[in-house]
Amino acid sequence: MSKKTINIPLGSQHISLLEPVRFKFECENEKIITVDSDVGFVHRGIERACTTKFKFDAIGYVVARVCGLCAITHSLSYTAAIEKLLGGEITAKSKYLRILLLELDRIHSHMLCLSHTCENAGFEAMFMRIMGDRELVMEIQELLTGNRIQFDYISIGGVNRDISSEISKKIIANLYEVKQRALGYMDEFTNNWSLSLKFKGIGALSLDDAYMLNAIGPLARASGLNIDVRNEIEYLPFDEVGFKMQTHRDGDINARNLVRLNEIINSIEMCNNILEGLPEGAIFTKLKGKPKGEAVIRFEAPRGELMYYVKGNGTAMLERVRIKTPTFSCIPAFSHIFVGENYADAPAILASFDPCLSCTAK
Amino acid sequence: MFNLKKYRKKSPWILHYNAGSCNGCDIEILASLAPKYDLERFGVVNTGNPKQSDIFLVTGPVTLRSRERLVELYMQMPEPKVVVAVGSCSCTGGVFRDMYNVEDGVDRYIPVDVYIPGCAVSPELIIDGLVQGLEILEQKTKEMEKPLKLFKESTCEEGIVNRRDTALKVGKIDEKN
Ligand code: SF4
Repeated sequence: MSKKTINIPLGSQHISLLEPVRFKFECENEKIITVDSDVGFVHRGIERACTTKFKFDAIGYVVARVCGLCAITHSLSYTAAIEKLLGGEITAKSKYLRILLLELDRIHSHMLCLSHTCENAGFEAMFMRIMGDRELVMEIQELLTGNRIQFDYISIGGVNRDISSEISKKIIANLYEVKQRALGYMDEFTNNWSLSLKFKGIGALSLDDAYMLNAIGPLARASGLNIDVRNEIEYLPFDEVGFKMQTHRDGDINARNLVRLNEIINSIEMCNNILEGLPEGAIFTKLKGKPKGEAVIRFEAPRGELMYYVKGNGTAMLERVRIKTPTFSCIPAFSHIFVGENYADAPAILASFDPCLSCTAK
Repeated sequence: MFNLKKYRKKSPWILHYNAGSCNGCDIEILASLAPKYDLERFGVVNTGNPKQSDIFLVTGPVTLRSRERLVELYMQMPEPKVVVAVGSCSCTGGVFRDMYNVEDGVDRYIPVDVYIPGCAVSPELIIDGLVQGLEILEQKTKEMEKPLKLFKESTCEEGIVNRRDTALKVGKIDEKN
């Protein structure tokens, strides 16, 4: 065996990638030795445009276009920051409706990630099954907000649409279906021989490494690290609606999948609790004034912690909007996991991170 | 005999490139390939290989770094090919119009045959657009089959032979005369 290494590029356009990212793997035989990643293909300049092109009340809809998958978390974080600066209080009902949509978004995002992992492991049938079931969630999102992906549901001071009793009945019925399917997947992911061949013990991240490399989101929780922003913040009453932390010990692809599945089930419980005890009242309060001062807001996006920093100077234009996205914080951990794995597993490992490059590049 | 041209319309292969979109439209393309909308009933297969594709789905407003790849992918696809711009931001720039790292729309770089508006586009619209794209693909296939005919002598100036406009498709010559 020779000691020569070869360079294999993956991307920027590749069948297993939804988005353009380029990895350069240096391989010795089958093993990956070093990884070089390049994530900036989709940089658009949204942060800059937020301070020069748009007034502060429109930016909630612009930052949603940072990422289509966690659109709701982006607009929610921005809106929460502005509400903090304006100093108003929003109604309890709108708070619960916000959590409802946040959790629905998490369910569909996790299902997409699971199906994508299966596809990249070569299990096309599972991909189709999960994508088919995901439509149940998309349906209720469309009923609730009027659009399937970019909801534009949250506005400064509340939410844009009220919920009716028929809609909430439909949501409960569909979520019941989804829960049954998710329990079925749980069985499949733990017991199916061909899936475990591709997933178990591959792409593992130990607890110490997760802590050292600053991993967040499902990636860290799969390694046993107890971090979830929903546990730490008070703007939205997550503990009231039954949030439970989901962790796993193994840290491999299988553990990440199981953490995601458990989170889906937990989110469904939260949605049901919200719909059962939804308070009466208005969904919108008008907040007056212009933002002045600085605010930092964190939320748990489907992929981990999302941070917004907003600085206003009392005019309609903001001075600075800074977005720190989950995938960006996870890149050191990503690169660490790839080293020592087989090249053939690279697409499956990559999909199990659930990277969101349009978030990262903004 | 096996006739490739006849079956191309029955099973178009698509290539998908994300030129800086927000992922919203990419997810909808995936969703329209999945069981509920089932684009695969038209024989559509999602490939990652430009050399085997007939239809090019582009999402996103073309960022400065992705434009070379966009043009390169377009050049690598064999004729006949159809370009479908998916989403408001790939049609006109949409919400990203005039941002500093964005070229407003795909049609600044490559010719677009079908525009699908919407932010995010619904899978129904994607299916509609692709079916329109199939018709255009068939037309283009027919157009390619027409023979070329010389109808003008090439000119020679200072030793440089100029053959510009000497050959035209058969139908077009009839229009000219
Ligand atoms: S059209 Fe809208 S949803 Fe689609 S990629 Fe562009 S910004 Fe995203």
